[in-house]
Amino acid sequence: MTNERTAPREIPDGVRRGIFAVGCMAISAATLGFLGATFRFLVPNVLYEPSRRFDIGSPQDFPPGSVTFLPDRRLYVFNSADGFYAISSICTHLGCNVKRGGPGFACPCHGSQFDEDGQVVHGPAPSPLAWYALSLSPHTQLVVDLDRQVGPAFRLRA
Amino acid sequence: MEVKNVAPPRLHVVFACLGVAFLLIFSWVLLHEGTTEWRSTQARFGRLQASVKNPHQLAQAASVGGLRQIWLPDLGRIDRCGTCHLGIDDPAFAAVPAPFATHPGTWLSTHPADRFGCTPCHDGQGGATDYTNAAHQPQPFVSRPMRPLETIEANCGACHRALDPPDAPRLAQGRRLIVEFGCFSCHEIPGFEGLTFRGPSLASIGYKVRSGWLAVWLHDPKAYLPQSKMGNFRLSTQEITSLQAFLLSQRAQPPLDSTGIDWKRADAANGRALFGELRCVSCHAVNGRGGTMGPELTKIGDKVQRDWLFSYLKDPHRVQPDTPMLQYRLTDEQLRDLTSFLFDEYGSAAAATEPPPVTYQDARLVAEGRAVFERRGCTSCHRLPGFKDTGRIGPSLAGIADRDPDELPYGSNIVRHTTDNYIFLKVLLPDTLGQPSSMPTFGFSPADAAQIALALASIRKADLPASYVVRRPAPAPYRPGGAFGELVDRYRCLSCHSVNGYGGDLSTVPFDRIGSQLRRDYVAKYLLNPGAVRVSVEARMPVFHMVPDEAKTIAEYFADVFVDDSLERYDARFTAVEVRRGQELYRRLGCQACHQLGTKGGYVGPELSTTGARLKPGWIAAWLSKPQTYRPDTLQPDYGLSPADARALTAYLSGSGADRTRGGNTP
Amino acid sequence: METAVSEPRRNRVANWLDAVRRSVCRVGWPVTDKDRAAAMISSLFLHIHPARVSRHALKPTYTFALGLIAGILFVVLSVTGLALMLYYVPYPPEAYRSMKDLQFVVTFGIVLRNIHRWSAHAMVLIVFLHMCRVFWTGSYKTPREFNWVVGVVLLLLTLGLSFTGYLLPWDQLAFWAITVGTNIAAYAPVVGDRVKFLLLGGHVIGPMTLLRFYVLHCVMLPLAMLMLISLHVWRVRKDGLSGADIRTSTEEEAAGVFPASTKTYGLMALSKRPRASVESRDPNDEVFAWPHLLYRELLVALGVIITLHVVSLVFMAPLEEIADPTRTPNPAKAPWYFLGLQELVHYSALVGGVIVPTMIVVALLALPYVDRGKAGAGRWFAPERRVANGVFTALAAVFVALTLIGTLFRGQNWAWVWPWK
Repeated sequence: MTNERTAPREIPDGVRRGIFAVGCMAISAATLGFLGATFRFLVPNVLYEPSRRFDIGSPQDFPPGSVTFLPDRRLYVFNSADGFYAISSICTHLGCNVKRGGPGFACPCHGSQFDEDGQVVHGPAPSPLAWYALSLSPHTQLVVDLDRQVGPAFRLRA
Repeated sequence: MEVKNVAPPRLHVVFACLGVAFLLIFSWVLLHEGTTEWRSTQARFGRLQASVKNPHQLAQAASVGGLRQIWLPDLGRIDRCGTCHLGIDDPAFAAVPAPFATHPGTWLSTHPADRFGCTPCHDGQGGATDYTNAAHQPQPFVSRPMRPLETIEANCGACHRALDPPDAPRLAQGRRLIVEFGCFSCHEIPGFEGLTFRGPSLASIGYKVRSGWLAVWLHDPKAYLPQSKMGNFRLSTQEITSLQAFLLSQRAQPPLDSTGIDWKRADAANGRALFGELRCVSCHAVNGRGGTMGPELTKIGDKVQRDWLFSYLKDPHRVQPDTPMLQYRLTDEQLRDLTSFLFDEYGSAAAATEPPPVTYQDARLVAEGRAVFERRGCTSCHRLPGFKDTGRIGPSLAGIADRDPDELPYGSNIVRHTTDNYIFLKVLLPDTLGQPSSMPTFGFSPADAAQIALALASIRKADLPASYVVRRPAPAPYRPGGAFGELVDRYRCLSCHSVNGYGGDLSTVPFDRIGSQLRRDYVAKYLLNPGAVRVSVEARMPVFHMVPDEAKTIAEYFADVFVDDSLERYDARFTAVEVRRGQELYRRLGCQACHQLGTKGGYVGPELSTTGARLKPGWIAAWLSKPQTYRPDTLQPDYGLSPADARALTAYLSGSGADRTRGGNTP
Repeated sequence: METAVSEPRRNRVANWLDAVRRSVCRVGWPVTDKDRAAAMISSLFLHIHPARVSRHALKPTYTFALGLIAGILFVVLSVTGLALMLYYVPYPPEAYRSMKDLQFVVTFGIVLRNIHRWSAHAMVLIVFLHMCRVFWTGSYKTPREFNWVVGVVLLLLTLGLSFTGYLLPWDQLAFWAITVGTNIAAYAPVVGDRVKFLLLGGHVIGPMTLLRFYVLHCVMLPLAMLMLISLHVWRVRKDGLSGADIRTSTEEEAAGVFPASTKTYGLMALSKRPRASVESRDPNDEVFAWPHLLYRELLVALGVIITLHVVSLVFMAPLEEIADPTRTPNPAKAPWYFLGLQELVHYSALVGGVIVPTMIVVALLALPYVDRGKAGAGRWFAPERRVANGVFTALAAVFVALTLIGTLFRGQNWAWVWPWK
């Protein structure tokens, strides 16, 4: 068992390392790509959830001066003297549904209180309730766009 | 020493090769994802958008990146067609080619995409994101590829259940044919529940027809009557003979006695005059011209026996309780003349002689015929006492559009194996599908068969959520009682006129508000001798030969019951100024182009000289203001008259021919 | 930056980093033979390999790495299967919809599904070939009898996993293959109908069946499989690869396939086992697992993964219309590996559905305890085992032929067709 028998076939160390390095780099690159692909795979391309923009019926469905709660949209719709506006019922603290009580809204979970415009009166809620933009569709339906938040000065005249 | 325990160099080469191969393959995977068809389509749309829109519009336009889907959980559909059809709801792309073109018509505004998606109308695989898999063309394993526009109305029918769906002429025609030919007599057809189709009662057919005619008819009804609603049952000679014997033995009710009639004294000229006066051609065609409600009379002399015809004309309801045919009030002499005229005019020479003796005495043959009658489901359409109701003979057509096309027979017909094609062939040529079929051949034209097939192709297996279904309520049957009811029954008013949508559509005058439209005296007078109100229209009411009391009963009932208060409240005290203004308007609007007043005018619309005597002013004003509200298809233009103008015209027209002394208003 | 750091501080950082590295991976990149052995022994994952292996066993033609490939496929299937679970809903219409989503909207979804599907088929095939190899080399002989039994159970588990996975796409192919497959099971005497009822969670395939198959496919069977694979490999590790008495030819020696071994110390220094199997082996026939075995395993894994990717990019996994219990495709076929049985059932339900499968399983389980001769173990087609090999080969050939007939030569109404026509 002498080592000389294999010696003549030996390729130089440098070349051997080079070949090995090529393989390693290719595998590493592919592995990086694989990690990226895995991340991309996890990002959903289509969503199975209600549209973020939806119509809630015609303005006549909301009598003047009324406040309507739409439970499946988690939304309060107001028809005030100077126009329509919509306030989210999702408490900004931890996402419970706020209830109308007294002059404003109260969250049953952790006691946050909001005024008529959704501004925090007291309690743990860090920010006011969200206001969403309302618009009129060509078929004169009220349309809410959850991707467009507006300030408490917002009113839609319909 | 350590050197010896490193891997052999050959393995390094293999390792490097595999590593590079893996990298290449993985790049291929990335490329595969990055170059999907919809991405390049969206890129093309981006370039197109830049050329179609101005910079301002471009800034307003939503970004087109990514997949778009419409998710309709209640329909169980996900449509991603919008991923490529990006200009579908943007009128700016009206002139660009597919796939970016705007959707034609107003369909998207009547059927918003976020509620109806795409595939409920178009079919195809909505979830796919490339052309091939979306099944724009038929694809393996896609049960419903996109429908071509020729048959797309089948999908309208899935929601629109009314018999005359709007904007779907082929579907409406298909459904009309199904009703007309009574397909639901033999098949259960969802959407046609509650409808009945009745062929003539055969209880006394032995007295009615000639045996020779019966043989011809049973062999092929179309040979005698091309528009016959009865199909060809492809009966054998033996079956025909036995059926003939069986039918001729059906003699429940002998015809009314006509032994006292002296046929030799028949006056053919009077018969011809009566034939015209009774408006027989409104319902019966002769020589290809005339109505279709009743059977064609061209060869009536070869078909029926004279005594029977005499009896039938005298009282049609006696033997055919369901017939739309009315009972005229004629004397025996008039009946004799009419019968004789029909026989001479519409019969060949053979008809003059009495038919040969019939062969219905052979009991075995009669029993055999009865069996054939039962087996072929004749009772589905023809009532005959002594037969139990055995349900529909044909298979139910519920869910027929979802039958498995691979399980259906196509015979030797060379067609693509689809359910649509099967239905079409079955309707057109039921005997060519390679299976014994007892369905008769109706002899539809291919176009008619295609429309029937289209209507049937809208009958799906799974029902849609109720919120998508558009039904028209079936009109409630209208059966008045009392003296008026008897007259309505005798004269079969509802064969042509309708009340609240129930009844016939031959007449353009429904009874709904007729008491507020027509003056009572006019009605009573008109019924005794109906004439044409419109000169140019051939169809008109027949002369019933009513007695004055009957006409009065009807006129009074009309005036009391069929009243529209809004028309009645009209103030009919017109001033002379209004009348003059009306005359001026009449001239300015060019009314005389269509209407005759006095001696001048056109022939398209009704003659107006006697308007005041015919119509009540409230109705005149209402009609002039909004004619299409009352009759959507009328030629009368809507001038958009102001109430004052309408009143002025009414004043002018009410004055014409009205008896001024009577004041112009009936209580 | 480097110049800003003083020399001692750099050392301190390097030492600290080295300490962290050593706390995780105690042995570094091995340079000495001692390290090579220690690397194998001190690592949980590498320890399933011996530190040194018989170089004859490394010859590709000896095992064709079939067991290794099956193991790699199991890992691939687990990884892709977990990924697919993120988008799969085990409820009838949604299940089919999620297949379509994988195809049309999930990034890499279709590639993953294809890989999973083709790996599953490949695994059934490879495990079967692995069994044949073990038989033909007589490797189930003492002391490996029980490992053969474990292997047979693993084969059944593989079939079970593939079968339960077959239903999940909820298309016509899935629905009717499972219908036929479960009805074959129902032919078993006495318990057949009960088994089918339990398997389906009812009398017909429905939402409950899908859920049962889903849980079996994703949790129960993989767990059982993982445990038995551990046992199987553990046994191999303990008993050593068979074939110790095969000599490497001098040509191979000369070609440098394996470097000549030189024993420098006994592994007892590292192993606490009272009697290491290494003692009974010729140290000159052994090489270090690191790198000789590990490197080859890496190459095989790369090869398998590349092949799977290529196949999955070229061939789409089948997906037919959504399952419709009212529309039976003609012919309705079980998954291909059961088509041999379906072909037999076609002749006789009792023979194909009961007698043959029972006999096959019983015979396979009992085999190592019946065939107790020691001659010819560890060599391909040893002449001493001519009879056993002949019988097994003939039976395997018949089974393969029946499967081929059922797969390719049976058309509508199970009538004979020529696939090329």
